[in-house]
Amino acid sequence: MENAWLIPLFPLLSFLALLLFGKRLKEASAYVGILLTLASLVFSVIVLVGRLTGATYKLEADWLQIGDLQLTVGFEVNQLNALMLVIVSLVSFLVHTYSKGYMHGDQRFPVFYAYLGLFTFAMLGLVLSPNLLQTYIFWELVGVGSFLLIGFYFNKESAKAAAKKAFIMTRIGDVGLFIGMILLFWQTGSFEYDEIFASVHAGEVSGTMITLTAILIFIGAVGKSGQFPLHTWLPDAMEGPTPVSALIHAATMVAAGVYLVATMFPLFAASETAMSTVAIVGAVTAIFAATIGLTQTDIKRVLAYSTVSQLGYMMLALGAAGYAAGVFHLMTHAFFKALLFLAAGSVIHAVHTQDIEKMGGLWKKLSFTAPLFLIGTLAISGVPLFSGFFSKDEILIAAWANGNYILFWLAVIAAFFTAFYMFRLFFMVFSGKARSEMKNVHESPVSMTGPMIVLGILAVVSGYVNTPWFGTFLGDWLVEGNEALGHGHIEGPAWIMIVATVVSLAGIYLAYLMYSKRSISRDWFTSRAPTLYSIVVNKYFIDEIYQTTIVYATKAISLFLRFIEMFLVNGLVQLVTGIVRGLGKTGAKLQNGQIQTYGTVAFLGLAVLLLIFALTGGYLNG
Amino acid sequence: MDSFYLSLLVFSPLLGIILLAFMPKGNEKGLKMLGVLATLPATVLALVAYFSYLGGTSLDSFSEQARWIQFGSFGAMDPNLFTVRYELGIDGFALLMIVLTSILATLAAIASFHIKKEWKGYFMLFLLLEIGMLGVFTAQNLILFFIFFEITLIPMFFLIGKWGYFDKEKAAYSFLIYNGLGSAILLIVIMVLFAKTGTTNIEALKILVNSPEQVLTPISDSLKMGLFIALLIAFGVKLPIFPLHSWMLRVHVEAPPSIVMLHSGILLKIGAFGLIRFGMGIFPEEFQELSVLIAVLGVVNLLYGAFLAFIQTDFKMVLAYSSISHMGIVLIGLGAYNEAGVQGAIFQVVSHGLISALLFFLVSVMYERLQTTHIANLGGLAKGMPLASGFLLAGAMASLGLPGMSGFVSEFMAFLGLFREMPVLAAVGTLGIIMTAVYLLRAVLAITYGKSDREYAGITDIRSFEWAPVLVLIGLIILIGVYPAVLSQPLETIVQGIGG
Repeated sequence: MENAWLIPLFPLLSFLALLLFGKRLKEASAYVGILLTLASLVFSVIVLVGRLTGATYKLEADWLQIGDLQLTVGFEVNQLNALMLVIVSLVSFLVHTYSKGYMHGDQRFPVFYAYLGLFTFAMLGLVLSPNLLQTYIFWELVGVGSFLLIGFYFNKESAKAAAKKAFIMTRIGDVGLFIGMILLFWQTGSFEYDEIFASVHAGEVSGTMITLTAILIFIGAVGKSGQFPLHTWLPDAMEGPTPVSALIHAATMVAAGVYLVATMFPLFAASETAMSTVAIVGAVTAIFAATIGLTQTDIKRVLAYSTVSQLGYMMLALGAAGYAAGVFHLMTHAFFKALLFLAAGSVIHAVHTQDIEKMGGLWKKLSFTAPLFLIGTLAISGVPLFSGFFSKDEILIAAWANGNYILFWLAVIAAFFTAFYMFRLFFMVFSGKARSEMKNVHESPVSMTGPMIVLGILAVVSGYVNTPWFGTFLGDWLVEGNEALGHGHIEGPAWIMIVATVVSLAGIYLAYLMYSKRSISRDWFTSRAPTLYSIVVNKYFIDEIYQTTIVYATKAISLFLRFIEMFLVNGLVQLVTGIVRGLGKTGAKLQNGQIQTYGTVAFLGLAVLLLIFALTGGYLNG
Repeated sequence: MDSFYLSLLVFSPLLGIILLAFMPKGNEKGLKMLGVLATLPATVLALVAYFSYLGGTSLDSFSEQARWIQFGSFGAMDPNLFTVRYELGIDGFALLMIVLTSILATLAAIASFHIKKEWKGYFMLFLLLEIGMLGVFTAQNLILFFIFFEITLIPMFFLIGKWGYFDKEKAAYSFLIYNGLGSAILLIVIMVLFAKTGTTNIEALKILVNSPEQVLTPISDSLKMGLFIALLIAFGVKLPIFPLHSWMLRVHVEAPPSIVMLHSGILLKIGAFGLIRFGMGIFPEEFQELSVLIAVLGVVNLLYGAFLAFIQTDFKMVLAYSSISHMGIVLIGLGAYNEAGVQGAIFQVVSHGLISALLFFLVSVMYERLQTTHIANLGGLAKGMPLASGFLLAGAMASLGLPGMSGFVSEFMAFLGLFREMPVLAAVGTLGIIMTAVYLLRAVLAITYGKSDREYAGITDIRSFEWAPVLVLIGLIILIGVYPAVLSQPLETIVQGIGG
């Protein structure tokens, strides 16, 4: 574990090497990236195994001296981040491998791998951070990695807009985190997690301050994890290449918000208001995004909204004191959502469109991708025995046990929607007949299907590390030795699991009737509530609302200030120059070449000087 | 201890001026080479001083003095009374400023390869400007400071007026008027202090002004406050503080980019240097009393610059307003008036010097090839100039305070300081963090990303000599961002104990 700091350095090395030599290496760049992330993966696994048996490890060095203050950097290995290390490096390694096939032939192939390295470095650094300041540093750096990769196709206007939006929307959240972090520092005298929690535990921070800082930090998480109302950047981020969507906008970076709340859990747990804020935002996001997911026709956007929705579930879990449930779902989601995105990428790679209206009948043509996509769909829909089933069940139980009945039912309804829209997606892509002419549809190369198979296996089995039937190993291990994190497993009524199964299957069946069997017309609902449909299909007009309020307000302020600049400030300039010019003219008039005038002035000057001397002379001598 | 080290350092560009005088006017290559070479001795000496300081040499050992001017015959009373010596010396902050000045001067001289005419006169003025800047940071008394301060004004006036763009004369005059008025106010302050205390030595003033029993003529509290406000205005013009900023916008737009590298990188910083060294040093009580005002002015600068940068159509104007905005961070740190804040302000002085030099160098690179900096005329530049575009983006990221680069460390410390003293004001100020990202990405992405309306075929990317400034500046920006001890170590004694 002492060598855990090496883990982020491998991808950093990959970034630097490809920046310098990428042009010469061309597509061989992929091997640099793949091998170095493999090294990270191996080290991460070693660290995880070490942490399973050992204790938390922390190492720090001085970084910045401010007067008497000494800020430090370092790394820490605890349960949560040992697990995260493996998730991040595994998904990154698989995405690196997958991209070799997916990005084949792209002009900026080495640049793509360089950016992937930068992102992976930042994400692993974020996970290892032992203090809030260092977390913030890497938090921003992952944002840049994400920004660069969203805007990878830089000459596309839409990619440019999406990259800019992602950066700015998350930065709005980041400022919340920034303020929260600094306020917390002046309250507790430290950025170190353990010291902050000790201070909070000892009651040195007032309740109001705990609530305020927790909510400010949560705003950072809202931005990063695409929670309502800062979610709008995440669906647009689908402009990036699909492997990026799998890595950054499904499995790792967007989960960083959840990770942050989990890391800061002892702070949140100390404030009821903060906890219920997290739970409410999570539940609202879960159902809100799920409803939008019902209406989208772009394969990646459907998945994007499902990501937003699933992240909402995780937040709900944390807010409902289900620490283990939230982290568990973070893990299973990373696997099945990365799988879904990679499979979607494989579909796009085959048919060269993202519009599911144009797809259909791909089941037989894509004999690897299709079943793998189905596994991912089953997992996210919460079908029993798949990983998502177990983690979603833990969340529902946590919400119920916490007494948030309204939020619980919202989550149940969202689960129904999830099953429905995911199978709508599945049927529209793979069943029936092709709805447009698709030539040369072929299965992807092994470099792409290989990673998908690994994720497919994990999407099935990863749930078994934490089941009510065989033991909640993960949950128990996660909270071990830290009472502030609550119980590893929360007991709940057995009917919850039945309800979850029923709504999931009902959603699937309804999707089957509408999109595969077609015994219910597709526009059965839209024709009955056209207004509601138009609101949802337009994503509740959130983008438009921002456009007409915040964006215009910013422009208005700028124009108002320009008005001030033009009239007041420039007025001042005119005044100053006017005075100077006036003085200059007076001076020039004196220079009229007449000796008499000069003589007069000289004499007057002498007289004034003598006068001053006479008046002050006594003083000077005394 | 007496040594000639600092004199040698400050006046080393003089050798270049003399040699240039003997060069034929038309020898473009020779003049340019000599111009760059002439800046190197100062850079080497400054770096040697920096590293020997890190190695343990005391900064006091660099100070030197000589008898110079004596007013009146007070020698019998006290040989120091009404005496102005030629005295140079540095503290940790001045050391950093000298290193920054000499490095930026060398890089700006390299950037001056883009200058198209009358190289001889250009480089002679350029080197004279460097002497002025180096002198300002080493002067140990106010008279000497003032002389060096004035030395920077004259070459700047001609450099803008002769080698600038379309509206260069107007820019040069408004530069001269504002800075001339600033100097006049400064001179009044210096004269009053001199008359009242009989000295202009800064260290002596720090003690005398605040211990009434030792002064010739007592300085009343209201006079002290008046003097401090006058200083605030004099240096406020330089920094610049809203609403005294309009002259610097013109300079940013009209002066040749190589000169703007120095102007934005160093000359504006004289305002901050003066406020810290004289304002805070000589008038600590008044500074503290007005700290809320200074912090408010900082937030105003930050937001005003940011919002106006958002609607500019010329990239140079975006950067000009961005400088105003970033100088707001300096004021915010100073207004906090505690260790974190002041250290943040000094960091920002250095950091912004490097970042704006980088951005203006890239402006120079762009203008040389495309003859425009208007955002609407650009777009999709990353296709034709991927390297320059990449560096431009990196510069923008540094400017918007991306961690791992110098801008973050300074911004973080300034806000850390202010949040301790005035959390509500600081929270308002953080809006600036968002706005900085908004206006910089708007401008930089509009230039580098998107579809291109024009053909970039045949346009060369960063080439030969252009690598030097880009790599050195990016390297320093990242070095400070990753390992801030390179700056914080010399500042330890300066920052310690501020604000209690």
